[in-house]
Amino acid sequence: MQSTIEGGPAFAYINIDLDPGETVIGESDAMSSMAADLDMEAKFNGGFFAGLAKAFLGGESLFVNHFTNNTSSTQRVTLVQGTPGNTRAVELNGQQLCLQPGAYIASTPGVQLGVRWAGFKSWFAREGLFKLTVTGTGTVWYGAYGGLLEKEVHGEYIVDTSHLVAYEPQMKLNIQLAGGLFSSLFGGEGFVTRVEGKGKIVVQTRSMSGLADWINPRLW
Amino acid sequence: MQITINRNGENYGPYSLEQVREMLDSGQAQPTDMGHVEGESEWVPLSELSNNLPEAVEKPPVIGSQDGDTYTPTGEHEHEFRIECKPDFSYLTVQVPANQTLKVEASAMATMSTNMVMKTKMKGGLSRFLGGESLFINEFSAQGGSAEIGIAPGSPGDMDHVHLSGADEIFLQSSAYVASGMQVNVDSKWQGFKGFFSGEGLFLLRCTGHGDLWFNTYGAMIEIPVDGNYVVDTSHVVAFTGGLQYSVESVGGLKSLFLSGEGLVCRFAGQGKVWIQTRHPMAFANWTYPFRPESNN
Amino acid sequence: MQINITHRPGNSAAKVSLEAGESITAEGGAMIAMSGHMQVETTTHKKDQGSILGAIKRLVTGESLFLNHFTPSGGPGEVYFGTALSGDMMEYNLNGPGIMVQGGSYVASSPSVDMDIQWQGFGKALFSGESMFLIRLSGQGPVILNSFGAVYPIQVNGEYIVDTGHIVAFEETLNYEVSKAGKSWLSSILGGEGLVCKFHGQGTVWCQSHNAGSFGASLGPNLKPR
Repeated sequence: MQSTIEGGPAFAYINIDLDPGETVIGESDAMSSMAADLDMEAKFNGGFFAGLAKAFLGGESLFVNHFTNNTSSTQRVTLVQGTPGNTRAVELNGQQLCLQPGAYIASTPGVQLGVRWAGFKSWFAREGLFKLTVTGTGTVWYGAYGGLLEKEVHGEYIVDTSHLVAYEPQMKLNIQLAGGLFSSLFGGEGFVTRVEGKGKIVVQTRSMSGLADWINPRLW
Repeated sequence: MQITINRNGENYGPYSLEQVREMLDSGQAQPTDMGHVEGESEWVPLSELSNNLPEAVEKPPVIGSQDGDTYTPTGEHEHEFRIECKPDFSYLTVQVPANQTLKVEASAMATMSTNMVMKTKMKGGLSRFLGGESLFINEFSAQGGSAEIGIAPGSPGDMDHVHLSGADEIFLQSSAYVASGMQVNVDSKWQGFKGFFSGEGLFLLRCTGHGDLWFNTYGAMIEIPVDGNYVVDTSHVVAFTGGLQYSVESVGGLKSLFLSGEGLVCRFAGQGKVWIQTRHPMAFANWTYPFRPESNN
Repeated sequence: MQINITHRPGNSAAKVSLEAGESITAEGGAMIAMSGHMQVETTTHKKDQGSILGAIKRLVTGESLFLNHFTPSGGPGEVYFGTALSGDMMEYNLNGPGIMVQGGSYVASSPSVDMDIQWQGFGKALFSGESMFLIRLSGQGPVILNSFGAVYPIQVNGEYIVDTGHIVAFEETLNYEVSKAGKSWLSSILGGEGLVCKFHGQGTVWCQSHNAGSFGASLGPNLKPR
């Protein structure tokens, strides 16, 4: 399998060239174009109950599509996330990565998706009670609205809750107010996430809620 | 070198080598199409032709870096900073020295050090409110040591930096303000009926003083040097230097005023600089209509 | 005439430099900025031509009712074009077969390019996720098209599948039909792909990486109720 990400950071899309016999799994409606000879089949997102859990708790679709090359030559499928923005490919070799709900785009069959309890505080900050984890062996593609910046945290760092995309599992997340009560309410920042520990986080340089806050005053 | 292309029995061209390469890149010509070099006897597939040509040069990628470009200041500046993910999702990171403060538009903070303290100020009172910018500006102070802040405006687009040195004067469309040093004055200026037609609020922000000023666009940013006379659609104006004269008018004649779809334009005259944006917010606002939730009443 | 497309693929703009006497025709509302001495003329069709029928035809494709023609008076001049939404632009030099362009994707063209409207047929009009009519561009000279997302070309030789809502333009040597995406109808619907466009023949189809409808649907819940 050969894959490239093009069009980033504005409109990243993933070209995946499947060799004979290979499969790639994509989020529902992620396909932009594909060779007519590829087989596409909808399946539950990791079994019926696991699929339900991911759909209702992890912000992912109930079904995913399996793209399989049953021909004898290499065939291309192009996958993309629903919003503009950048996409990253991560090679997993047993390690785990936590993703914000909705960030998952595609993966190879050796990658497992799971949901993990994120805590009540997370829900309070409108981020959902659960978070998505990916583990196993293979490639996972994820993305978000905006550009993606990787940051090495050593100690503590504050991230606006709508800008955190992915983080390593050892990182501890705490939700808090951005400033004092007045500033948090009127300064437009609301809740922020305090990230603690030593490891990598990935932030998105725009957010859908920020975009809405910018355009809403112009709507009549 | 002139090349004739044959597809499905029909000849096209002749084209220059550069044109053929561009046509291959854009998909207009296909590698399997046959090509004939003037003076040669054989037809060969374009893929072979373009590979075997001695003067073939690697073309730079059209789309650029996958993470976007990064800008760090080379000229005068007050703060250390960088702008990443240019030009479509520009993201500003500023280092604030110990016990100093930076002004940032409300809601734009995305990341910061834990020793950064945020205070909300109502800046400029009512006129600022009318200026279309949110009523509040946040002040971020680095306590005890230097601290950094990452700033992500709401609109997708580019960002630019200007260092003001006392005599400079920059006018900003009211939604373009991102952040500034404490010695920069930001006042709203009544535009009269000029502003009324611009579609971006009644006020321009007049920025003077000393220090760093950052502003942003919706869409990509193009800097246009004006020497004489230049016309910009009013909703694409982001900023301009103080010395320029400007007037609001329609394009073309009376018919064009109503039918051209161009609305009103701003004619700049004199010498200076205009920053324009390649997209305009109202087009996006109109597009969102079918996706908006139904109101309850 | 020189065309330079900048800021690909996020928020592209097309800068068109014209010599004295040259003109470019553009979709109403596409102009961002221009030289002070540029003359603008508005018609419903080609330069110096216009008809009510032309206007109606343009309206049904989702394009604006009117076209503007830009001509520098005196010396050379320049004009910048943009589009309503974020996205890419491409330049294509017509010289041979015509191209079929999705309604809403036309930005500008040389006056030597002919423009016509083609009804897609009921099946495609209802299910292709595209506009009901296509614009056929033919003749000689450059055209500028736009897309939501990055444009990527696919050389079709036989069959190729493009998801509904992802077509920008295709060479008229190609044809397409609306069909199911997966092995079965059930699989196509459950997988969220539903219907797709299946191209046949030999030629190029230009796809847009992103679908504006998907973006709108995910932004929708955050927006002010209408």
